Amino acid sequence: MSFSPRKTALTPGSGAPKPRSKGTPDNPLAAELTRSLGPRKVLSNPSERRNYRYDAIQFGATPLAVVLPENTADVVTAVRAARAAGVPVVGRGAASGLSGGAAPALPGLVLSFTRMTRLEVFPQRREARAQAGVVTLSVTEAARPHGLIYPPDPASFRTSTIGGNLGENAGGPLCFKYGVTGDYVKGLQFVDADGDVYELTRDAYDLAGLLIGSEGTLGLITEATLRLTPPPKYTRTLLASFAEVGECAEAVSRAIATGAVPAKLEFMDAACTNAVEDYLALGLPRDAGAVLLVDTDGDDLETVEEERALVEAACREAGGTVRRAATDAEAAALWQARRSVSPALGRIRPQRMNEDIVVPRSALPEVVREIRALGDASGLPVVQFGHIGDGNLHPNILFDPRRESSEAVHDLAHRIALVAIRHGGVLSGEHGIGTMKRPFMREAVDPVTLAALWDVKRALDPAGRLNPGKILPDEDVEAHAHP
Amino acid sequence: MNHDIPVPALGPQGEVMAHAVDACVHCGFCLPACPTYALLGDEMDSPRGRIVLMKEVLEGALPLADAAPHLDRCLGCQACVTACPSGVPYGELITSFRGWSEAQRERSPLDRAKRAGILKILPAPKVFSVAARVGQYAKPLAPLLPTALRAPLDLLPERVPAMQPQPPVTLARGRRRGRVAFLAGCAQQALTPNFNAATLRVLARNGIEVVLPEGQGCCGAAALHTGAREEALRLVRQNLAAFDPEQYDAILSNAAGCGAGLKEYPVVLHGLPDEEQARAFAAKVQDISEFLAGLLHAGELEPFLPTSRPLSVAYHDACHLAHAQGVRAAPRELLRAIPGVTVVEVPEGDLCCGSAGTYNLEQPELANELGVRKARNILSTTPDLIASGNIGCHTQIGSHTRRQGSRVPVLHTVEVLDLAYRGEL
Ligand SMILES: Cc1cc2nc3c(=O)[nH]c(=O)nc-3n(C[C@H](O)[C@H](O)[C@H](O)COP(=O)(O)OP(=O)(O)OC[C@H]3O[C@@H](n4cnc5c(N)ncnc54)[C@H](O)[C@@H]3O)c2cc1C
Ligand code: SF4
Ligand code: SF4
Repeated sequence: MSFSPRKTALTPGSGAPKPRSKGTPDNPLAAELTRSLGPRKVLSNPSERRNYRYDAIQFGATPLAVVLPENTADVVTAVRAARAAGVPVVGRGAASGLSGGAAPALPGLVLSFTRMTRLEVFPQRREARAQAGVVTLSVTEAARPHGLIYPPDPASFRTSTIGGNLGENAGGPLCFKYGVTGDYVKGLQFVDADGDVYELTRDAYDLAGLLIGSEGTLGLITEATLRLTPPPKYTRTLLASFAEVGECAEAVSRAIATGAVPAKLEFMDAACTNAVEDYLALGLPRDAGAVLLVDTDGDDLETVEEERALVEAACREAGGTVRRAATDAEAAALWQARRSVSPALGRIRPQRMNEDIVVPRSALPEVVREIRALGDASGLPVVQFGHIGDGNLHPNILFDPRRESSEAVHDLAHRIALVAIRHGGVLSGEHGIGTMKRPFMREAVDPVTLAALWDVKRALDPAGRLNPGKILPDEDVEAHAHP
Repeated sequence: MNHDIPVPALGPQGEVMAHAVDACVHCGFCLPACPTYALLGDEMDSPRGRIVLMKEVLEGALPLADAAPHLDRCLGCQACVTACPSGVPYGELITSFRGWSEAQRERSPLDRAKRAGILKILPAPKVFSVAARVGQYAKPLAPLLPTALRAPLDLLPERVPAMQPQPPVTLARGRRRGRVAFLAGCAQQALTPNFNAATLRVLARNGIEVVLPEGQGCCGAAALHTGAREEALRLVRQNLAAFDPEQYDAILSNAAGCGAGLKEYPVVLHGLPDEEQARAFAAKVQDISEFLAGLLHAGELEPFLPTSRPLSVAYHDACHLAHAQGVRAAPRELLRAIPGVTVVEVPEGDLCCGSAGTYNLEQPELANELGVRKARNILSTTPDLIASGNIGCHTQIGSHTRRQGSRVPVLHTVEVLDLAYRGEL
């Protein structure tokens, strides 16, 4: 089985000429930033600024200026300049986010962390200290020679940054057994809306925990101390295919009920399998209604094999057929298939509305069937995949804005979100609320809790200057942005 | 990606561009693959950023002059194409865009002269040979010159070899197994005549008759990628007339850039009457390593003589072979078929060496930075030999490894095979 070779994470920071804006900045904020930080760290031309208005799902407002900080002091300077100018600040990592988090809702300052890439590994303490712009994969790459890894593994780990991962509390296939980004953060440094710097550990009030997953609305994370672990000695992989999505979900419920704790439990429906197959031709079963990919791992081979056997039996009982990955290469190819789902969908329709719901595992079969039915009835292509072991599903509505009305898309997204809420689920597993799911917040969160969230937001960002227009459905917060 | 590109007004190339923009979901998966993003770390110098810039220029939302510096820094290495899971044909986009936008570029007279010079000299082996000889004598003056003029001189070898005659037909040795047409290439005839000589010998040894069809010329890639579309169309049609695909088992090239150029003909002629002809032609085009690996798989490749001592060969993936043509396994398999050879992988192997056609001349600083990095990565494997399948990489890697004090020979893959047949490895 063939798959493309490993990409090496590249480290920026060469002596090559860094971009610098030519000519005079065309607005006072850009001029002030250029004066205080120098032209190398500030982008002010339209061609530059227009490239910092999108993430992986959405285009937003063109920023007035973009700062590429190289250290925490630069962040402080930039935040203070934005405060003086009375404009909002949006943090940005690799802009691979799928909820519109890094796309500015209003014109303001974008702080792009891609040059803050200092990374140190402390093997004795099993820790790494990473600046916000460090690419996720490079943490594991730096740790591996010391016999350690950094487990959080979003599919975007070659591109996304630690700052963005913390901002979204990103997870990945491994989170069923090993947890999400937030579980690996021992402490962090952040800059608040006034430009003050804080160093947080996770004692007393878990303020660090509050910043994790706050999508840049409470503070700008500049550095984090991450927990590293030794990798498991053995891993075994299997692929099960099912005639129908609900059977696949049943297999998952059964497997977990037997007490197995697989490292990864991922599923993709027929449309996903076929999109990936079109791209990679890995020999996935094109006619299956859904496939399930499972890894069991650990330091004791017998247990690892035993757990795989348990999962295998559960899959058969639910009506599936099972294939074991015979070699590491075969397993790697299967996982590459899963990682490529999301972007491979672009081949079906140019745009998609990405949901990121979490439901109780017991409700899985019903939820996936209901969503399937909603999709079929709507006439829009709806595909499903996700970290099914956690009950984290990614139903995606694919559409072409020139052919399909955005109201129909939004309406369907809304109804899918309601399915999750009706079954006791939540709106976001890992991609965040951003602007995409903000309209559904009032239905998902009760008014008392929402009020508490607003209180937290106002306590840390009274003027509503940090990434306004995200998460909280509060028009007032936006009004505060222009005092 | 959603766009308002006025496709009908732009014609068939507009369709090609709009299709690529459509296909991009701005996921950013291509960022870590891009050499300029690796060096500069900003969105405008990334594949995703460039796609957005091109989209906005085509939509009329951004003046061309604003976007141009970032688009000019693109190496055209197509590493982003390999990395993109949505199958965005970035190579087709940038090439078409350069063709479309060149007419609207404001360039200084000096810049124009330099570009015209490059386009005249590169594709004409005889002219190039003379120019190279002149350059060879100018080499000692290099330190006095501005970077833009120094770069091409730095790349010239110490001694420019004599041109070698190229027989119109090379007969097969032993039983004739096949007949192929060969594109002789341009600059490499002057700088490294042994590439072609070795190619002809290796093919003949395997029972392949090689024809150099009369009337063939430059593949047109250099013209196309610098935006000289009319000139490129002329060259493409000249070759379509010279090579009749029906007559040959394959049409071969031993220069990755040219091979990729030949395979691109259907895109160049998209929407024009000769598109079908280009398709038939492109279907026969293969890199020399693909063709020889085909023989190897069929068990028909003549065995190599063993090396005199164990040799570790660092194989460098030329972008136009690995990314543009997707040829990665074939050269490695061939090298490994030589008893005594171990192929070693180069760290950051997917990162362009910075040569990329005329990049050395147009973006000397970035090209140099990438060249230094590539040479350092290759030498970190302490190889006995360095092999690659492209003249541009060959010159770039040779000049940078020498500058880092290394004497390790840099050879074309087919030169290594040729030496193995002669028992000289
Ligand atoms: C194809 C694809 C697959 C994906 N797969 C997964 C997956 O499996 N699991 C998963 O969880 N996500 C996934 N994602 C979503 C995305 O990659 C993650 O959310 C990732 O963590 C975002 O990182 P980033 O550096 O790109 O952040 P960005 O998109 O740049 O930013 C994300 C959010 O964090 C904020 N932010 C960024 N940097 C900072 C900072 N230093 N301080 C404070 N706030 C900041 C931004 O304002 C924004 O709100 C995927 C995305 C794509 C395109
Ligand atoms: S990887 Fe492909 S789809 Fe994603 S941003 Fe790059 S070109 Fe666009
Ligand atoms: S062709 Fe190469 S340099 Fe150009 S955008 Fe793609 S990866 Fe970057």
